[in-house]
Amino acid sequence: MTDYLGELRDSARQVLAGTGTPASEDKLWPLLVELGWLLAPVPEHLGGLGLGIEGACSLHTELGGGLSQAAYLPATLCLDAVCHSDLPEPERAAWVERLCSGELGTAPLTDPALTLASGAGALSGLAATVQSADRASHVLLWTADHDCLLLLALDQPGVQITSRATWDVTRRLFDLRVDNAALAEQLVLARGDAARAAVRRLHTLRDLSLAADAIGGAAALLALTLEHLATRRQFGRPLALFQALKHRCADLKTRLAGAEALLQDSLAAISTEAGDAGALHTAHKAKYLACATFLNVAEESLQLHGGIGMADEHPCHLFLKRAMLNEHLGSAEQGYEIAIADHFLGTA
Amino acid sequence: MDSEENIRSLRMAVRAWLRENVPAGWREAMTGTDQASFVSAQRDWFAKLSEAGYATPHWPEGWPGGGRSLVEQKVIFEEVARADAPRLILFFVALYHAACTLLECGTAEQRERYLPGILAGEIWCQGFSEPNAGSDLASLKTRAERRGDHYVINGQKTWSTMAQYADRCLLLARSDRSGPPQAGLTYLLLDMKSKGVSVRPISQITGDDEFAEIFFDDVEVPVTDRVGEEGNGWAVAQATLASERGLTLVELSQRMRYSLPLLRDLMRARRCEGDSAARRDLGALIARVDATCALADQYLLKRISGTEVAGDASMVKLHYSRTLREFVSLGRRLSGLQGQYDPGFMRGATQETGNWTLDFMNSYNWSIAGGSDEIQRNIIAERLLGMAREPKNWQLESPA
Ligand SMILES: Cc1cc2nc3c(=O)[nH]c(=O)nc-3n(C[C@H](O)[C@H](O)[C@H](O)COP(=O)(O)OP(=O)(O)OC[C@H]3O[C@@H](n4cnc5c(N)ncnc54)[C@H](O)[C@@H]3O)c2cc1C
Repeated sequence: MTDYLGELRDSARQVLAGTGTPASEDKLWPLLVELGWLLAPVPEHLGGLGLGIEGACSLHTELGGGLSQAAYLPATLCLDAVCHSDLPEPERAAWVERLCSGELGTAPLTDPALTLASGAGALSGLAATVQSADRASHVLLWTADHDCLLLLALDQPGVQITSRATWDVTRRLFDLRVDNAALAEQLVLARGDAARAAVRRLHTLRDLSLAADAIGGAAALLALTLEHLATRRQFGRPLALFQALKHRCADLKTRLAGAEALLQDSLAAISTEAGDAGALHTAHKAKYLACATFLNVAEESLQLHGGIGMADEHPCHLFLKRAMLNEHLGSAEQGYEIAIADHFLGTA
Repeated sequence: MDSEENIRSLRMAVRAWLRENVPAGWREAMTGTDQASFVSAQRDWFAKLSEAGYATPHWPEGWPGGGRSLVEQKVIFEEVARADAPRLILFFVALYHAACTLLECGTAEQRERYLPGILAGEIWCQGFSEPNAGSDLASLKTRAERRGDHYVINGQKTWSTMAQYADRCLLLARSDRSGPPQAGLTYLLLDMKSKGVSVRPISQITGDDEFAEIFFDDVEVPVTDRVGEEGNGWAVAQATLASERGLTLVELSQRMRYSLPLLRDLMRARRCEGDSAARRDLGALIARVDATCALADQYLLKRISGTEVAGDASMVKLHYSRTLREFVSLGRRLSGLQGQYDPGFMRGATQETGNWTLDFMNSYNWSIAGGSDEIQRNIIAERLLGMAREPKNWQLESPA
């Protein structure tokens, strides 16, 4: 399995080297479908490569480093939810097939605020940060009480998407408004306790995936900055010769190594049991630290680039803006640090 | 002059004037606007302010609006900041860099010739940095060759703020290539409408294009427009930079202090006034903001009394820059996901718009431009603290 992973990562690296920074959605999405990246985390019994969350995360890391605009991350969340649903066969297999062959099932990158009107079985509310919704046929959604997980067709009455411009231009996010969509018409993936476990699993995967994306971004940006310091000369010497700057880079590298190690550790610990509360807690730490580290690397990199970092033509700011957005994705509204502390103190 | 009575009545007068005159909704008007409306809004505001005598409180006695005591200057800056009046960013270099350089190093004729133009709304830019001469300013290569009663300029400048609007440029160029790099520089006042000048605006990460490259192709500058002696440009440039590092920060630190209510509004809107982590950060920030203001004031007093020492201005700038970064970072963090949505391009945005992600990015102007934080640290360490300097001679060894 690890060989497979290595090969996949190498091929991803090659592909991204050819798509430019940021890697455009138009080029990258068809390519990654063709290369079977969506199949990477899908279990073998469903026709996938069985590389699990580790496989997905190594791709997220590469895609993060290339500032990918493609909605691969939410697509893998959507796919995972279908794979682990109780949908009867052959319906489930048919969905997996559809979602692996180019039809986009996306998901919100933060927690949606959706409720089911009791009795009526009608779904209403708002899901923000739904990535590439205009290209998707379906969106993975869950109610605020985690009692229901479903796949919602975008093409139906009462469903509306609105594009929201973000500073980060490497993702295209949408608000999704749902107004009294009949639950009976939707593809319900889980209800009750099963739904609660599925949402925990989904949150776990989402947080780990965002962490992997951030690690990739941070590593690529640090490499860019090191290259700049090595080649840019002032005072008749490379900037890299100044100890003050070397120490800053050494600190960044050390933080990054820590965040990376935590993610690796988390991935190893949870891969078999992504649905339990302990796994989610592990993912919280990985997400928090990776995103904080990415932002730290980005803030420092802008400064270390000097004037050129403030120019639109240089990619430095694209990383910074993605890092700022990443920090606020997932369950950030609730505060990851607070969730981690509460868990420790038993005050959750 | 600074009796409590006088100061109070000045404050009341300025406040009343601002209430009448600050254009309502000026910030919104700058959202998505074109260059022409930005320029005309800045011009109108400058004309009003200077007519009222509030545009140049930092100028010396004898000049319109000048001759104010430190306390009076502060009152004016405070009230302007408090009213959230537009900042004169288009005239910033003219009012500070150019004026201070002329007042300190120019001849009486040059002052008579150029200061009235500045008061009448001429726009100036600063042409120091080059693609290969940023922190290491003294290595600059743009040439100034003496030919009779003219200098002929060839070369390129970059990152020049507002150069695309500028009437004149503070130009630092090389007149002599022999000897140490600092020794061969000459300081000139260049007419941007001269033949051979071309300007290319640079798009910024904020969507604005406030700075530009300037190209010089056999541009002639009369010798009478030289500030200081030929080859003495480095010392004159230090005067320009000192005004940027020290003097402008009295105004800017007051701006920052009076922008604190933006954080209060944000905390209310986000319902986190009760959040003890947010309150702790806010409290720590307020203390640092007050310290920045106090340090800037003290600097000005030292300047007036002639007790300024090397490194003082650098501390003011570094203190401001770090505190500003904390300020906008707190705002950005507390804004949550909302802060990541792009509300549309705002021309001439400063670092206190309350759009925290934009403010955050603009705060890098203060840690990079005018001598970066790292360069200020070097100056403080080497000149103020007397720590050993980086060796001039070095050898690149491959890493072990
Ligand atoms: C918004 C903005 C407006 C500007 N406006 C003007 C203007 O109007 N006119 C003008 O002439 N210039 C202007 N500048 C240019 C500015 O002065 C330079 O960007 C600045 O001097 C840094 O130079 P640089 O960009 O070449 O960076 P570099 O000098 O290449 O520096 C890159 C990094 O290396 C660090 N570094 C460099 N030397 C050392 C050292 N010895 N020790 C430790 N660290 C070091 C720097 O601090 C920085 O972090 C502006 C810049 C900005 C961002």
